[in-house]
Amino acid sequence: MDSQDIARGPTAAGTPREWRRFRYPQSLISYGSWLIAFTVIVYSIEYLNIPLDRMFGMFGRMGEILADRYYPADIEYIMDVDYIGSVIETIQMAYLGALFGLLITIPLAWFAAYNMTPSRLFVYPGARFASMCCRAVHETIWTILFVSILGFGMLPGVLALTLFSAGFAAKLFAEEIEAIDMGPVEAMWATGANLFQVMVFGVFPQVRVAFTGIGIYTWDVAFRAATVVGFFGAGGMGWYLKRNVMQIETERVAAIILSIIVLVLISELISAWARNFVMKMK
Amino acid sequence: MTASTDTEGYTLTTEAVLATRRRKRIVSAAVTAVLLALVVWSIDVTVVKDTDWERMGSIANVLEATNRFIGIDFELFPTLLGPAIETLLIACLGTFLGALICIPAAWFGAMNITPFKPITYPLARLMMTLSRSIHEIVWALFFVAVMGLGAMAGVFAIAVRSVGFIAKMSAEAIEDIDHGPVEAIRAVGGGPFQVFLYAVLPQVLPQVIGVVIFEWEINIRRSAILGLVGAGGLGLVFFRQMNTFNHHGVTTVILAILIIIVFGEAVSHAIRRRMI
Repeated sequence: MDSQDIARGPTAAGTPREWRRFRYPQSLISYGSWLIAFTVIVYSIEYLNIPLDRMFGMFGRMGEILADRYYPADIEYIMDVDYIGSVIETIQMAYLGALFGLLITIPLAWFAAYNMTPSRLFVYPGARFASMCCRAVHETIWTILFVSILGFGMLPGVLALTLFSAGFAAKLFAEEIEAIDMGPVEAMWATGANLFQVMVFGVFPQVRVAFTGIGIYTWDVAFRAATVVGFFGAGGMGWYLKRNVMQIETERVAAIILSIIVLVLISELISAWARNFVMKMK
Repeated sequence: MTASTDTEGYTLTTEAVLATRRRKRIVSAAVTAVLLALVVWSIDVTVVKDTDWERMGSIANVLEATNRFIGIDFELFPTLLGPAIETLLIACLGTFLGALICIPAAWFGAMNITPFKPITYPLARLMMTLSRSIHEIVWALFFVAVMGLGAMAGVFAIAVRSVGFIAKMSAEAIEDIDHGPVEAIRAVGGGPFQVFLYAVLPQVLPQVIGVVIFEWEINIRRSAILGLVGAGGLGLVFFRQMNTFNHHGVTTVILAILIIIVFGEAVSHAIRRRMI
């Protein structure tokens, strides 16, 4: 098209034409979308009353606050037996939440996979909506709701993490089921198997490894979420964080945040190693 | 001669196969046993011992407590519009700021174009891990402490939290680029900055924009709760409704959050499909 334009255009014989990356319709769309994005950003700065002039002085203040109040992190505090006990509780909460979430995920992802769902008209949209609700409502909101219904303790935390992990894993797992090879499934249909048999013998063997990988990843993500569910009254290290934030014990807060970072790093390493291991075991 | 070695090799492989199968079975049985023991222990500690069963009462009490939340407070709707827009805009600004911070992070964090490998590469990786490993609530607490209550703290918390994901995906996209243009720009004497601007950026821009829009969609979900720790938006309304025990209002706020998230998901889906 470009060469035709040049050949037909009046400038083809004379001066060379100026090169442009985008031509008329694309250029309009491209510049238009940049303009819209820019307008949205300027409007939101205006709407949210963000003091741009204070922003530059802020970094200096941030460094000062970090150095003055947070700097010598109170390491002894996080070496305390009580605190380490709460860390173990957090890990247990994340483990149980991810496990229950994965148990819910199996039927939910089955119903929400377009190729294997029992009914495309009713079950499919319902399961999609349920998994979207679990994902859309943030885990802290689930925690607050469960705490207000069931009282303080780790049970509401486990339930909140269950819903969070179910929403997270169901989407990934449904996509995995939608991507399977339909050959074995059709073969089983042809021999007269029912839907349940097709699921157990035609679909699960194909997605087993992927499911294990998703499960390990879910545990990793659930642990990250579990570090703060305690902030809203559901046990674990989040409760220590809340208490020290409220008492403005900034050095202890710094130590707790450091411990969260270290634990998340360790969990990330373990999850990467375990996923590698599962892939090899295949 | 050849036949015997063949059979021998065959029996050997059979035994080897059986042995590996047995070993695999033992390993998986051991893993399952450990996992089950952990489940039992965790249930015992978290659910059985830690829960205040007397306070919770019977199932009827729990159902009654749940029942309080069923219902919608229609009077709240007009007051929700402002915070909903605020939540969306905090997500927009936070994503934009995060994408800006990502430019150096992705540049330093991509193995093939990082300016000085022993220092800048680990630095960028550290930035990404820090940003991903700290929960948005903790970031928001920190920024509220630094710059006071308000939307600005939320914007910064969202921005810092999204750096990890965007920078990681962008760095991976950069590592996969075609090296021809990079070498061409280097050959005509371009510095590292010019290489980034003219050879790398045009190749990865579509992918990076896709990642940024996806992150924006996640950020709406995050910005909806930052109000819980004093950073504006719908979370603040949720907090107020919860503290005044207006349970129907709580449900209404959750519905509003769902609506803006569905809106964000639809927009992001439409844009990403248009781009591809």
